[in-house]
Amino acid sequence: MVRSDTRWLRGAAIGVVATLALSACGGSTATSAPPAATAAPGATAAPPSTAPATEAPKTGGTIYLLTNSEQFNRVDPQRAYTGEDLAFFSATWMRSLTAYTYSPDDPTASKLQPDLATDTGTPTDGAKTWAFTLRDGVSFEDGSPITCADVAYGASRTFATDVISEGPTYAIAYLDIPKNADGSSAYPGPYKATADQQALYDKAVTCSADGKTVSFHLSQPVADFNYTVTLGFSPVPKAADTGENYDKKPVSSGPYKIDSYTTGNGGKMILVRNSNWSQASDTYRQAYPDKWEVDFGIDVAVIDQRMLASTGNDQYALQYAGMQPENLATVFADPKTVLPAFAGRAVSAYDIYARYLWVNVNKVKNVKIRQAMAVALDRSALRKNAGGDFYGGYADGTIKPNIGMDYAPTNLWTTMLGKPIPDTGDPEYAKQLIAESGEAAPSLTYDYGQSPVADRGAAIIVQSLGLAGITVTPNPIERGKYYSVVFDPEKAHEFGTGGWGADWPNASTVIPPLFTQEGGWDLSQLDDAAFNAKVKAAQAETDRPTQATMWQDLNVETMENMWVIPTFFGMAQNLMGSGLATVAGPDGGLYLWGPYGSNPYGDLYVKP
Amino acid sequence: MAGYLVRRVLGMLVLLFLLTTTVFFLFNILPGDPARLTCGKACSPTIIEANRHRLGLDEPVLTQYGKFVAGIFVGRTFSPDSPEPIVCSAPCLGYSFKRGEQVLPLIMRSAPVTFYLAIGAFVIWLVVGISLGIYAALRRGRWQDRLIMTISLVGYSLPSFFIGLLLVFFVIVKWGLLPFPSYVSPFENPVQFTQTMILPWMVLAALNAAFYMRLTRNQVLETLGDDYVRTARAKGLPERTVIVHHALRAGLTPIVTAAGLDLAYLLGGAIITENIFSLPGLGALAVNSITDSDLPLIAGITLLTASLIIFANLIVDLLYAVIDPRVRLA
Repeated sequence: MVRSDTRWLRGAAIGVVATLALSACGGSTATSAPPAATAAPGATAAPPSTAPATEAPKTGGTIYLLTNSEQFNRVDPQRAYTGEDLAFFSATWMRSLTAYTYSPDDPTASKLQPDLATDTGTPTDGAKTWAFTLRDGVSFEDGSPITCADVAYGASRTFATDVISEGPTYAIAYLDIPKNADGSSAYPGPYKATADQQALYDKAVTCSADGKTVSFHLSQPVADFNYTVTLGFSPVPKAADTGENYDKKPVSSGPYKIDSYTTGNGGKMILVRNSNWSQASDTYRQAYPDKWEVDFGIDVAVIDQRMLASTGNDQYALQYAGMQPENLATVFADPKTVLPAFAGRAVSAYDIYARYLWVNVNKVKNVKIRQAMAVALDRSALRKNAGGDFYGGYADGTIKPNIGMDYAPTNLWTTMLGKPIPDTGDPEYAKQLIAESGEAAPSLTYDYGQSPVADRGAAIIVQSLGLAGITVTPNPIERGKYYSVVFDPEKAHEFGTGGWGADWPNASTVIPPLFTQEGGWDLSQLDDAAFNAKVKAAQAETDRPTQATMWQDLNVETMENMWVIPTFFGMAQNLMGSGLATVAGPDGGLYLWGPYGSNPYGDLYVKP
Repeated sequence: MAGYLVRRVLGMLVLLFLLTTTVFFLFNILPGDPARLTCGKACSPTIIEANRHRLGLDEPVLTQYGKFVAGIFVGRTFSPDSPEPIVCSAPCLGYSFKRGEQVLPLIMRSAPVTFYLAIGAFVIWLVVGISLGIYAALRRGRWQDRLIMTISLVGYSLPSFFIGLLLVFFVIVKWGLLPFPSYVSPFENPVQFTQTMILPWMVLAALNAAFYMRLTRNQVLETLGDDYVRTARAKGLPERTVIVHHALRAGLTPIVTAAGLDLAYLLGGAIITENIFSLPGLGALAVNSITDSDLPLIAGITLLTASLIIFANLIVDLLYAVIDPRVRLA
């Protein structure tokens, strides 16, 4: 035997011993709790703590957020536009004039509360003017008071679209400032505006003499403008505005401030208490934890494993996005039932997205044909393909139940089309509708963003509509280019996939965007003058219950005309660590917060 | 030798220039509109044009190219309309508007992670692969040889994500032998660094060691049968000297070629491994930049990776002359 053989073996043995020694060093937290993730569903062996919160919430501790993303999409208050991000920011550092209510009940959650303002706004002039009075004692993280000028300046940044990008543009859409011939605003934002241009903005957003009341003068009546101001109207101190770089370190107005923010895999955002925030000025937030830590760039499978195990610091963690489909059976018996081992820690509920197939009304002009498409569609197979029952419930319109009072059942799949339509489709009835249309069964092209799941979905659509005699040719489009194709009237075909999430819990952010040219997301290419007039009337209606009824009626009208074929109301499944609880949730358990379809960040605390 | 080096370095520079030009124009002629892709949810035509101006894409392509090249030598400024324009010092490879950072610092921050990952795994797989390959060759046909070849076949067949997730599940979650990976610099906390890197090293080493076991075994077997090896044994040289200095050395050329290219490729980022273990390396950065349509960053990483391959080729060519005296660099 060659000496090198035994030397090799000795070396390997030393390596193994060294590895074991290293694993014992550094205080591995993973060894301190019994493993739970491998327990069979419902097993009682070493489950994580699921006892409901029975003690009053206390301040203290650190809450962790685990996310696969490398960073937040945008942190700048005029650029942040992702629901989960907005929910987190508004709970921690980003106050706005108004905010929503923490409640697992969706209609309650969608009720506005005053935040920076003393109330939820006062409309005058038929809701063309809105005034908000700032509370006493509201300040930025450096202790300087938040004034009307700061709110006005923050909103003005939206107009600098060549610097402040990707954010909500409601300020541009609603404020009474003239437009240029090309449709852009005559006010280019605070960085480039001449004195005359700035005067245009200063006329649309005015401050009272004492600097406490900000008034917005709108170009049209907007009955829910007090909802609009939750999005992109947070105050920014002009002296601290660094433009493009403000996205890295915005100034806090809330109970926490950003201590550090590094992006990329392994990056973190640490939020610590803002010593200049006063509870007296903030009836909205209780700010229970002392600290928040967001960990970026963690593999999604690893996040699920950590949340299931809930050991060490992960007991005080939440996953930022939903669970992976392959782990759902470990936690849920069905989309409505959490297994006992995870009671209080898990939730399965609607997110904010409604999925649908848009139908180009200029190419599929006959309503009976559009109805036939809907009737023939095998929605059951589409749902199975997308992930099964956990993926979502069957949609009956584009307004979703968790939006609150604007939702009412449309009866689309029960009585509206003349008879109940099964989830698997009714090709025979579809053929009857085609016959009633007076036209031959059409040949259509289906546009969709390509992925393996979408390819299978396209095959289901081809097959199910084919049973009714409708010939469908799938047109897969690279995902990144999908919208640039389907928004082009020259390139879009007869129908395709769509999805939409309301910007705030009012159907004014659903019906107008999807069904009017002005709204900006009208994939069906609809431009119906009578419908547009009804939409305008609903937008101007200041009596909320009356407005809700108007939206419900408009939703029914879109379904009667089948301008889109609704498919699913999306659902999400989230987990939180065993060491956390909520104030408003059932037995202190986790719930999905309706306004953003998110975790209820402002309602969380570390269990004593 | 000096003349050879000078010629090769000049050739490298020419190649890098051509590469830079090709990458730049390639990304500019790709279908798709970056201004539309990155303008967010509220994308009216005027918003898209404003975003195009923000990204500097509203200028003629040649002007953009000129600024890109100038930026490498003298730096450039982005977002001139912002109250605080962004100054990108030379060598400036561009600015990632998606991440709010200059491309070169982003890459340089990720590069050490990938470097440590690649080098650590490289050392392990070379040591394990070559030593087991030699051992298998010396035990040809016997159970040790068969066992090693079976192990190499299994290691070669299993995808990295499978090995990685298995290790995470058993070593970290189930047995709790190591904490969840959380990368720190080895200078900041060497113990945490090693705890984080052990499993990724093992994943990469398992895959590559399998290949090197087979390659080494085949090379050694080939040379063991040669006359000069018989002569060396007949001269009474120790077996270790025969194996290492004669048999292995003669068979090193393809091993060196493969090792050099493998290492260069790995320095561009082990995408799957970095993602599974949440390592903030170049591979993870590359994948995320593609998902985000972050073209400046994609271009920067492409340039870096291609440059590494070009450089690695030079090193490998130089090593040939060291290993094999018959090779003369001319």
